[in-house]
Amino acid sequence: MTNTLIEAPGPAVRSTGASVPSLVGLEIRKSLSTRSGKSLAAASILLAPAAAAVAATASSEPLGSVTGPLGALGMLTGLVLLSFGVLSTAGEWSHRTVQTTYLLVPHRGRVLATKAVAVALMGAAFAAMAAALVAGVLALLVSGASWAGVGLAFGAVVAAGAAFAVIGAGVGAATANTPAALTGLYLVILGGIPVLRTFKPEIGDKIDPAGATLALAQGQATTQSILILSAWMGVALVAGAVMTRRRQVS
Amino acid sequence: MITVSGLTKRYGERTVVDHVSFDLEPGTVTGFLGPNGAGKTTTMRMMTSLVAPTAGSAVIDGKLYAELPNPGAVVGTLLDASAVHPGRTGRTHLRLLASAVGVPASRVDEVLDMVGLSDAAGRRIGGYSLGMRQRLGIAGALLADPPVLVFDEPANGLDPEGIRWMRDLLRTHAARGGTVLLSSHLLNEVEHTVDRLLVIGEGRIVADGPVATLLAGDGTTVRAVDAPSLAADLAAAGLRVEATADGALVVAGADASQVFAVAAAGGHVLTELRPTERGLEDLFFQLTTAA
Repeated sequence: MTNTLIEAPGPAVRSTGASVPSLVGLEIRKSLSTRSGKSLAAASILLAPAAAAVAATASSEPLGSVTGPLGALGMLTGLVLLSFGVLSTAGEWSHRTVQTTYLLVPHRGRVLATKAVAVALMGAAFAAMAAALVAGVLALLVSGASWAGVGLAFGAVVAAGAAFAVIGAGVGAATANTPAALTGLYLVILGGIPVLRTFKPEIGDKIDPAGATLALAQGQATTQSILILSAWMGVALVAGAVMTRRRQVS
Repeated sequence: MITVSGLTKRYGERTVVDHVSFDLEPGTVTGFLGPNGAGKTTTMRMMTSLVAPTAGSAVIDGKLYAELPNPGAVVGTLLDASAVHPGRTGRTHLRLLASAVGVPASRVDEVLDMVGLSDAAGRRIGGYSLGMRQRLGIAGALLADPPVLVFDEPANGLDPEGIRWMRDLLRTHAARGGTVLLSSHLLNEVEHTVDRLLVIGEGRIVADGPVATLLAGDGTTVRAVDAPSLAADLAAAGLRVEATADGALVVAGADASQVFAVAAAGGHVLTELRPTERGLEDLFFQLTTAA
């Protein structure tokens, strides 16, 4: 047998594989153990309230409802979380730390699933903090706006935060290349789809995750918006799982 | 026991590893030698499920690496010391590994001390030298004190003191019943560390056996007070004799008893009589050039 050493008062070692909750916790720690991860987490929390403060201070137009800005700024948070998700997977390939990850947990589908859950939890938490701060800024600086539907908008922003982080993780896993994943995602979401919406709005509206976030926050096209975000997550994760399974770690 | 059977890896038309088979026994340090591109690293990566083999398998106590419940507790692996995030500190890196493999966080300080990195543990890995990264990689492999160690070029970047430390570490591990597979291009280091050699050339195993057997030459080396006279007698007896620059005679294809018999018959005074040994470097080039 190779699994015993004599004279070995070695450390207490878990005999089974790590549980899913502990792997999720590990992925969260990994994401927040680097400067880039911490910076993106901070940006995802602070960018939207900062933008809300600037807009509220600079604008002289009366604000009808807070759900609009909450959704729009939630979309901004989502776009930052997209990068956060990409870093969690593609960053591992860029730094080749994926080698150690797969040596300790060789089941690649399991690794991707735990990464997806981890970034979804962090994405939801950061988006919730950002949305709460945005709401606080609006409450302080804007008067007379309607707060009806703010609960739904808050929920939509939190869900979109989780969704965008998962989409980033899936695309990052599929490309294994951080610059390629980020450039591709932002080109499609901020370039390709808006152009498509201009010329073929009936198609563009059905595939735009940013527009879906905005609509969801305002309580419009709820089912379609949920389907759009779910489809993006599904396609990204399937692509990530297929490409990761086939890729050699060299 | 680790059993590698018919491991093969092809990339299109190119065969990188070609039906490689060997067993690794507990209590031994096995050296895995071969020139660059011979297939050592690919073999090690296939053994640890990082690269999917085209054919064949590697099993550890009957299980594929990926089937082990907690692989890090069974196999400590160092394949690429630079595969670490430069923005993390050494301690953070090891704590993450400790969580994954399931050992207490206190073990991190133990292995940091073991590899001599305690003072640098709070620094970012980006500022580490290659030797420090190697030590960090070894620390990671030792976290669970696993019975099997698979190290690819672990001596890279280590200073002489570090190489001696690593040699002692591997020998001690084997003495405790552990199994070690060590690839290195430092032939002298390998010769003094391993019990057994696996030599790979162009993807194929070209030699596999105990170091002493592989290095044993086909012949006898003898020194005498009157070497020219002994050489003449040996030649007269039909033996092929070559004189070396330092005055020894190498008698090819003859064992010590044959040489002694000729010397005794001629009344020669011998000062040395031993089987001829090849250097590991000679063996390495002979085998890998032939492959």
